[in-house]
Amino acid sequence: MFDWLANPNRFKRITNKLEPFLIVISIILIASGLYFGLFDSPKDYQQGDAVRIMYVHVPSAWLASFLFLSLAVSCIFYLAWKHPFADIISNTIAPIGAVFSVLTLVTGSLWGKPMWGTWWVWDARLTSMLVLFFFYLGYIILSNAFERKIDGSKSASVLALIGLINLPIIKFSVDWWHTLHQPSSILKFDGPSIDEQMLLPLILMFFGFSIFSLYLIIVNVKTKLIQKKCEALILKSNLKEFL
Amino acid sequence: MKLTHLSWTYMFIAHIKRDFLTNSRSLIDLISIIGFMLLIIILFPIGLGPDQEKMSIVSNAIIWIGLILAILPSLDKILQKDFENGWLDQIATTGIPLEIVLLSKGISYWLMVLIPLILSSPLFVILLSIELKYLPWLIVSMSIGGLAISLIGLIGSALILGAKRGNILLPILIIPLMIPILIFGVGINEAVKIGESPFGNLFLLIALALIYLIISPFISALLVRIAIGR
Repeated sequence: MFDWLANPNRFKRITNKLEPFLIVISIILIASGLYFGLFDSPKDYQQGDAVRIMYVHVPSAWLASFLFLSLAVSCIFYLAWKHPFADIISNTIAPIGAVFSVLTLVTGSLWGKPMWGTWWVWDARLTSMLVLFFFYLGYIILSNAFERKIDGSKSASVLALIGLINLPIIKFSVDWWHTLHQPSSILKFDGPSIDEQMLLPLILMFFGFSIFSLYLIIVNVKTKLIQKKCEALILKSNLKEFL
Repeated sequence: MKLTHLSWTYMFIAHIKRDFLTNSRSLIDLISIIGFMLLIIILFPIGLGPDQEKMSIVSNAIIWIGLILAILPSLDKILQKDFENGWLDQIATTGIPLEIVLLSKGISYWLMVLIPLILSSPLFVILLSIELKYLPWLIVSMSIGGLAISLIGLIGSALILGAKRGNILLPILIIPLMIPILIFGVGINEAVKIGESPFGNLFLLIALALIYLIISPFISALLVRIAIGR
């Protein structure tokens, strides 16, 4: 499956057809999620309207962790089979995931100011999320730190695999340390403990965000493929002049 | 000649001896690291003001942060020189497992930089007005944490082999990994200070150091092979 899609021309053919659907579906999902979240869902009995920040905060937190997992998977593909396509994919995933982790931290601190009375606390969940952002940052910086771009890819992939330790820490930080951040109310063994009217916009936003980031990844991968082709053409013409 | 386990331990000891020799020829590096840590420690009281009460709340954290900050500039030297003069390439072709050699590098960095730095901590303890009866625990916890720190530094040093301006990006890459060590290390000393049992944090710190002792030679060997291959 991976090999089959990894052919650049086939990838371009398929994604050209897929692209408009993805953007339309993601816009519909995000718009309806925002509508249900902002207008058609109950206020929290403690938090009032501020609970609505959750509909951006939680999906982007899920996506930040999920994108790091996919980054690590594609890094494994690159390290094990040395497929250049996997490298391109991980290079595009990293900035998107970094943006989602920043979005999580920013919306979280906007919510924290009225609720906890402070922008930031040194809670285990917040700290591990910040560390996740630094792993994204480290990946991006390290993969760009070499004379030739391709030299950094493998070392940066190893860094992404090291950063994988952080994901279970993020997930279980609210159970291991009882601090300010509230524990999970959706991914639990005995079913979600959240109201259905609140769950619906949350799910809509999550799928909207994921399809939107899939769209972004596809567009970026295509751009990078074109870039590589241009570089190859320039090299070829230089070589002709040289000869 | 077939390499046996016996000769692996021999290699390990030989490499530690070699590192000891090269380090003892350039003692000025070690002195500058200790001086740097001293300056970091001095900056905190100046910034906080001369209030003893305020100092005693944060003194354990300061000494740990000073330890981590002071060694950052020297971490890239663990492998950099040997990589640039081709010694690591030579080792990789001899058939000696790279993991053993790199483990010896991490251990020798711990023995030759971290331990002298930690043994000079009575000086810092006096400057930070920590009571002297807490000093043994401080030295024990910093020695164990120092092992983990130098093994993380080994990974970091291997990550940036051949990168341009590697010493600048090294802190960004490895400080996130040092956060757990800082938490448990300061936890030990804080527990001692308020008279609780420090063993919970101590065992966690030992566990972390042992985990890094196992995984860090393999990860850094992978990275060194990548660096040699490019």
